[in-house]
Order: sequence, then C-alpha cells, then structure tokens
Amino acid sequence: MNDREDIDGLAAEYVLGTLDASERTAVAARRQREDDLDAAIAAWERRLSPLAEAVPPLEPPAGLFTSIEARLANANGQSTGPGQIVELQQRVRRWRNLAAAASAAAACLLVVIGVREMVRPQVPSSYVAVFQKDDVSPAFLLSVDLATRTLSIRTVAAERQPGKSYQLWIATEQSGGVPQSLGLIEDRSDITRTVLNAYDPAVVQKATFGVSLEPAGGSPTGRPTGPALHAKLIPAPK
Amino acid sequence: MEAALQRQAMTTAGDVSALLRRVAARDKAAFSALYDATSAKLYGVVVRILHRRDLADDVLQEVYIRIWERAVDYDAAKGSPIAWMATIARNRALDEVRRKNPVSLEDAPETLEVASDEPSPLDNLNQSQDMQRLARCLDGLEPDKRDMVVLAYRQGLSREELAERYGRPVPTIKTWLRRSLAQLRDCLGT
Repeated sequence: MNDREDIDGLAAEYVLGTLDASERTAVAARRQREDDLDAAIAAWERRLSPLAEAVPPLEPPAGLFTSIEARLANANGQSTGPGQIVELQQRVRRWRNLAAAASAAAACLLVVIGVREMVRPQVPSSYVAVFQKDDVSPAFLLSVDLATRTLSIRTVAAERQPGKSYQLWIATEQSGGVPQSLGLIEDRSDITRTVLNAYDPAVVQKATFGVSLEPAGGSPTGRPTGPALHAKLIPAPK
Repeated sequence: MEAALQRQAMTTAGDVSALLRRVAARDKAAFSALYDATSAKLYGVVVRILHRRDLADDVLQEVYIRIWERAVDYDAAKGSPIAWMATIARNRALDEVRRKNPVSLEDAPETLEVASDEPSPLDNLNQSQDMQRLARCLDGLEPDKRDMVVLAYRQGLSREELAERYGRPVPTIKTWLRRSLAQLRDCLGT
C-alpha cells in the first residue's frame, strides 16, 4: 500500500512538474522499465490535462516552422528518418548540456539565407555561421572557407565581459560530438586563422560551432565551461 | 471524455487525429498543417512555463521534431491528440526550466509578458466536461493548495518557488502537493 502510494505520488508530481531536474530524469528513466509507474503517469496526464486547455494560445514567431523543417532536413541530407532525428536531437542535447540554449532566431536567419541558396544550387566552399545574440542582432559571425580550411570570426553585437574571454569551439562526428577548442576570440576585430587543417572539409561542413564565455584566457578544462551559443554552417550568400 | 483539449484548441479536432496519422506516415504537408493547427496552443503552454522567448522558440522546435518522430506512437485510446502533444510540450518545457542555471550570453534575456492571471483559469466559460469536473475537485481543496496545484501545472513552478511564494519550507510544500493530488485523484475517481 505504501509503495503504491509512493509511486502514485511520484507520478503525480512528475506530471504536475514539481520534481527537480534529477528526480525528473530518474522518473523518466524508470518509467521505461516500470509498467506501474508508467501507467500511473499516464493516468495523471489524463487527470490533469484539462488544465492545459485553459492556457491561452499564443502565436509563435513567424518562420519557426521553417526552422523546424530545416532542423529535420539538417539531420541528414534531405531524408528525415526517425533515426536521424534522434541523432540530431542527441547532438543538440550534447551542446545544451555543455552550455546553453541557442536563439531560434539564428536558425530562422540561417533558413532564410539557406532557402535563398537552395534556389541556386552550387558547390560552394564559403560558408557562414551566425551566432545570434537576440532576435535582431548576431553576436558573432563565423566565415569558413573549406577549400583553404581557414576561418574568420567577427564580433558583432557581443559585448566584452570584464575578466572573461569568448572561446570558439567545433564539435564534429569525428570527435564524437565533443567540442574542440578553435581558440579565443580576443577582441572586436576580425580574426582569421588556419585551425581547421586537422579536419576533413566534409566533417567541418556538418560540424556544430560554439562560442562560450570563459574565464580570461580560455576554458581551464579544455572543454566549454560557460554559457554558449551554437550555430551550424550554411553556404555563404553570394 | 478526452475531447477537452481538442475542442478548446480548434473546431476540427477530428482533423488533428487525421493529420497525426498522416504525419506518422511521414507526410510533410500534413506535418505543416498540424503545425498550423496546433502551434499556438503548444506555444502558449511552453511560454507559460519558460517565460523566455528565446528558450520557448527553441523548445517549440524540439517539441515538433519530437512529434514528427513519435507520431507513430500516438494511441487514440489514451487521449486526444492535442492532449498528447501538449504532454510532449510540457515535458520538454519542464525539463528545460528545471535544468540548473538556464544560461544565456546576456544577462537580460527577453522576458515574455505573461499575464499574471493565475490562478483564475477555472472561471473560463467554455469549459469542457473534463475541465468542469476537475475544477469542481480543485475547488474542494483549500484555496492555497488549489492555487499551488494550478500554478505548478501551468507555470511550471518548482517546490522551491512555491515554498518561497507561500512562505513555507520545501518539505511542507511537498507534503501539501502530494496530499492535494491524492485528494484530487479520489475526487475524480479515475
């Protein structure tokens, strides 16, 4: 009886949303293998779901669906099988675990440019990635030339933080999604570097880039430690 | 019985089921139509919990990716399609909001103005049968406890946030929540 109560109380709080992060994770894992917990959660979802009905609808920003389509397409070529989406989500999650939520606006902008590109198919070697600060201004602009394996990064709207450095990272399939440092973004000027020699251009093209805020001089651990933005490459608009 | 959210969200509830079936069959046009029909509802749910547009936009994208991915798992016997989708949205938003130190490069992320009309969602005139029944049972709780349940569900408040708001220790809040929920369950009889 007590066990039953505990499971039901846990399920109830899981659905209500009041468990903390580790409890939520534990319950989400347990329900995969505990049928009674899973059933209790489903029952609570049914009981409380009318509460969501009274939540006033709110129009999401225009262009969000285009971003969703782009994410699905990006998962791997034009195919969007479930496995590839899972892989995409895992990659996204890996970055988020390390750092932060990136602005969806970046994705919107990428898509706008990306769609323009699709109209004129070509095999470009110049790519850009936009690290969005907010809805209107990019924090950093990254340009990559795959032919010469050079990159340049420009600080746009990101502000200098006292005692902090911005650090650029790349996460590739080659590194199992683990971010590798591409160096510090020292000041507001353009920085051009040849740091991609170790990477296959095809790998770089699909990589996720990140900019994290680190202690002055860069991450002490060799991995991103502070809040970060992330972005992927899209062909540079002509 | 399960038509509550469905009816509230749109007049074409049956369409949503049909769209979801087509999405399960990888129909991209149906996915787009499903988004048009349901995104405002889910965005409302997500924004309430996250209070931040940048996070909400990102989470909503992930929610629809999940819906695309899991549409085959939707089982009409277990509830309305919109309730199923809202559950995915809530879970994703709650995971995000419970994550420690939600971070942004800037200190002042855009905060969404969410009307502080909580908790008064139970006065809605066009309540479904399910909502009316739940509202009656909620009204059977002490006012503070009823509000607590609604705030937690709709605005994603944690035990700590509730503790602060109600000036009680966290363990007390937990006890109150569990008791209130058990009382709700007994009242609903389902």
